[in-house]
Amino acid sequence: MSKRRLSFAVLAVVIGVMLWRALTPESANAVVVYVSHDQVFSEPILKDFQRDTGIKVLAVYDTEETKSAGVMNRLIAEKANPQADVYWANEPIRAEALRQQGVSAPYRSPSADGIAEQYRDPEGHWTGFSARARILILRQGLKDKPTSIQAYTDPDFKGKAVIANPLFGTTTAHMAALFAVWGDDRAKAFLDALSKNGVQISSSNGESADQVAAGTFQFALVDSDDVHSRQKQGRPVEGLYPDQEADGLGCFIVPNAVLLINGGPHMEAGKKLIDYLLSRETERKLAYSDAAQIPLHPGVDTPPGVPRLEALKVMKVDYATVAAKMQAIQPLLRDWVGH
Amino acid sequence: MERRVTLLVVVVVLVIVGLLPLAAMFGKSIIVDGRLTLGVYEKLFANGRQHWPPIGNSLTLATLTAGCVTLLGVSLGLLLGKTDLPLRRTLAVLLSIPLLFPPYILAVCWFNLLASNGVLVHVIPARTLELLSGWLFGLPGCLWVLVSAFMPVVMILTLFYLHAVNPRLEEAGMLIARWPATLRYVTLPTILPGILFGGILVFLLALGEVGAPMFLRYAVFPVETLTQFSAFYDFGAAAAAASPLLAVTLLVLAFERRYLREKTYRLRPTTPGRRMLLVPLGRWRVPALLAVSLLATAMVVLPLLALVVSSLSPFAYPEAWNKAADSLARSLVFAAVGATLLTVFGFFCGYLIHHRALRLWRAVDTLTLLLFTLPGTLIGVGLIALWNRPATGFLYASAGMVIFAYLAQYTALSSRITLATLGNVPQSLEEAAQMTGAPWLARIAYVVLPAALPGVIAAWLIGFIFCLRDLGASMLVYPAGQDTLPARIYTLMANGAPSLISALCVILVAVTLISLAILGSLLRAVGSHR
Amino acid sequence: MSAIELRAVSKAYDGRAVVDGISVSVERGERVVLLGPSGCGKTTVLRLVAGLEVPDSGAITINGSPVAEGGRNLVEPERRHIGMVFQDLALWPHMTVSQHLEFALRYDIRTDLAHRPARIREALEMVRMADRAQAKPGELSGGQQQRVALARALVANPAVVLMDEPLSSLDLELNRYLRREILRLHAELGFTLVYVTHNREEAADIGSRVIAMRPWQDRPPHI
Repeated sequence: MSKRRLSFAVLAVVIGVMLWRALTPESANAVVVYVSHDQVFSEPILKDFQRDTGIKVLAVYDTEETKSAGVMNRLIAEKANPQADVYWANEPIRAEALRQQGVSAPYRSPSADGIAEQYRDPEGHWTGFSARARILILRQGLKDKPTSIQAYTDPDFKGKAVIANPLFGTTTAHMAALFAVWGDDRAKAFLDALSKNGVQISSSNGESADQVAAGTFQFALVDSDDVHSRQKQGRPVEGLYPDQEADGLGCFIVPNAVLLINGGPHMEAGKKLIDYLLSRETERKLAYSDAAQIPLHPGVDTPPGVPRLEALKVMKVDYATVAAKMQAIQPLLRDWVGH
Repeated sequence: MERRVTLLVVVVVLVIVGLLPLAAMFGKSIIVDGRLTLGVYEKLFANGRQHWPPIGNSLTLATLTAGCVTLLGVSLGLLLGKTDLPLRRTLAVLLSIPLLFPPYILAVCWFNLLASNGVLVHVIPARTLELLSGWLFGLPGCLWVLVSAFMPVVMILTLFYLHAVNPRLEEAGMLIARWPATLRYVTLPTILPGILFGGILVFLLALGEVGAPMFLRYAVFPVETLTQFSAFYDFGAAAAAASPLLAVTLLVLAFERRYLREKTYRLRPTTPGRRMLLVPLGRWRVPALLAVSLLATAMVVLPLLALVVSSLSPFAYPEAWNKAADSLARSLVFAAVGATLLTVFGFFCGYLIHHRALRLWRAVDTLTLLLFTLPGTLIGVGLIALWNRPATGFLYASAGMVIFAYLAQYTALSSRITLATLGNVPQSLEEAAQMTGAPWLARIAYVVLPAALPGVIAAWLIGFIFCLRDLGASMLVYPAGQDTLPARIYTLMANGAPSLISALCVILVAVTLISLAILGSLLRAVGSHR
Repeated sequence: MSAIELRAVSKAYDGRAVVDGISVSVERGERVVLLGPSGCGKTTVLRLVAGLEVPDSGAITINGSPVAEGGRNLVEPERRHIGMVFQDLALWPHMTVSQHLEFALRYDIRTDLAHRPARIREALEMVRMADRAQAKPGELSGGQQQRVALARALVANPAVVLMDEPLSSLDLELNRYLRREILRLHAELGFTLVYVTHNREEAADIGSRVIAMRPWQDRPPHI
């Protein structure tokens, strides 16, 4: 055989092996999880599960700018042909929306015992755990600190605040919660006031936090883990839980939520993963991680800087109502962003 | 017969990976619950007024980017390819580096540079820094980032097409006038179709760009497709939202086909033996060198420096390696497989176009160009719409989808490179093989491919770069647990430490440069062996 | 039976007739030269016989078998067993001299495998290139390249050989030398030769019959 033919043959074999590796389906002892929670926080938990159970975890992660875009739409698009077993949502609104779309299957995990009913679907389609709070990130050294989300409409802070695009992520859920709690008229008035007060729109909570840390803005409404991570990086910011007065609105709590995908390829492994994610130990790890998330199980050990749920004034919402409201206000939010 | 069948198979594959996904996506926009309806389009255009600002922004950004890139790229191409400027090879390589990574990484670099605790904080006065930082977020910053990212396209095309100018024509010009007039009346008019093609390409790429404008908070229309897909979970509305963009793209490509394409086909490099005439810069050598060096510093060195500096923390690189080694390995494998298939596929497309071997050769060229200029997210959405079915689940759940995304998006590159290469291979070589009785595939394998080998290798290298840096489509279609490095970087950007993200970006750039250096040496070795 | 016959063959490009209703018959073993200025269609006639172009109308037969008719090729070029020397010689830059001949024989079903090495040696000796068998075209002189092109065209013993201005780029001395070589090879092998040139001296030297051609637009008005 000539040298050239031998080279071609070797190349063909190498390419064939690469293609075969790429196209071969994964082994049966695996679980496929789609994750909206930030990869830096969720991946260590999933790796621990893999180590502890021997079940290989195949994950698809979301991106910051399109929180729940890639992953959510893959789940909905794949409804007739599910590829995932579990969805780890970073807030229950999307989980509720998936339940409404018929993507989930009910599963009541024994690990969920102790989590309040407010953070669980009544039919067992999704369960909340390890929550973030929507808080204000402030530039350090501010003389007049905002204490409420109403500071967005305060003329003293005109042009000095930023908010993440309300069409994506937890900001959408927060807006929907305000509409649910305040009513449409008051919530619309709030949005109009934001526009008039020169509030800028960023592409994500992370970017908002970076903008405040860089001094471009004085404050922003972000998730508590965004604040914590910037503080760990040594950046000059602090966090403030808004509306904590006795008659205050309370801060909006955003738990993670996990749900079992209807018809997923590895449902038993999926249930094991859900049990693991809802465990007290996972909540402890997430509290101690840079995610700094608030456990929903009472009595879970937390580090300083991560408050207990019972110490906070929490916005009273029904997440199913918020999910429905979220769908309804999309055109309005799109108009608002456009202007 | 063999030729016809092979080329038809290539066309069918192109239709399956590229056209059908788009058709599936647009099909979902007009067929709702089994009925034909234009409801989503009516809704889209009923709210037309709110779309005008982002459409206007997209067109403004694309036009300004194309204009600036064309002026700058041609000037640099002339300086680096046609003069005796010192260090021109090094500067050409340096200025081409932004092509190696997605534009949003450049945006991140500039953010790192101009932030109040950024790299330039000790160098530039605070007020100036604040001003520059203000410009970064909006049209000026977006324009600067996209110009930096896409300038290499026109520069490299100019360098390439300068070889198509017959030096005898320039010598004839020099008998009458000096170099500036010769450049103006002989050289530039000869390569003008190629330059305009480059400008059009950049216009379309800037029109479809999402990552950098989103990061820099400049509202552009492709975000609308993304919004429809994410906020409304609506394939149909996403496709409808993409239709204005698609219409503009088709219009521009129709213009290109009508006025430029034939002229661009005819631009072929002169035979290697002919030496290109160089313009002596004389006393302008040093000022020109300084100017180009300053530009390279501003466009490439400073942002890369910001990237490297912000990655310098004791744990960034070990953590980056720990978090992303698997996705890096995967990226390299996917890129290698993608580049190989693109080269084979693109070769046959280029052959088909060069020889006009099938009647639909023009349609093939237009389709590949259209797919190249479409936003990757649109291609990703289309691939999901088409392949996510029980019958094709085995393929949908595999990395084959990522390869399909590469084939759909980048075939135009390898096809056009092949086209340019075949223009330099005399047809008589293949005809001589044909007269010996060799069947078509044997002629291709033993005569045409070896004669076109440098171009084939260049196509592989360029396919490799683009597959390695791809984000848009592959981010949507990678199977669970098989993300690529650019997708990993993008997902880790959420709350990942800036030093970690910077380290990952540096790794991506370094791996690409090292791969190119190794493969470039291979190219030189193969060339000298021939 | 003629070796080559063209009957009322026409070919046009972009609506412009290059060959219009030409009828030519070439006997076996004959040396026919097509002589004419640039643009008169002589290369087109050669390429039509080779099958590299398809006639718009008319018929072409080779050794009595129809190869093109009714606006299409009935026999593809690779199956016509015709040797051809191109104007630019079309030597493959990546192949050595002997690899050229190996390739030319590889798809010739009339020469069995066992005889191929001997056939290649014969062909190289015939053109006096046996000592440069391992050289690549870039290492050869103009005349040597010509001889390689000739060897490639003749190695499979074709009955018909076409040559398209093969000597046009050579100096007078080399031109005359290679004309003698072509005539010697023709005498040895007895193939039918159709030779295209614009050089009258060459035409008179090589051809046993010369057909003068002129561009279609220069024809006298039709009566």
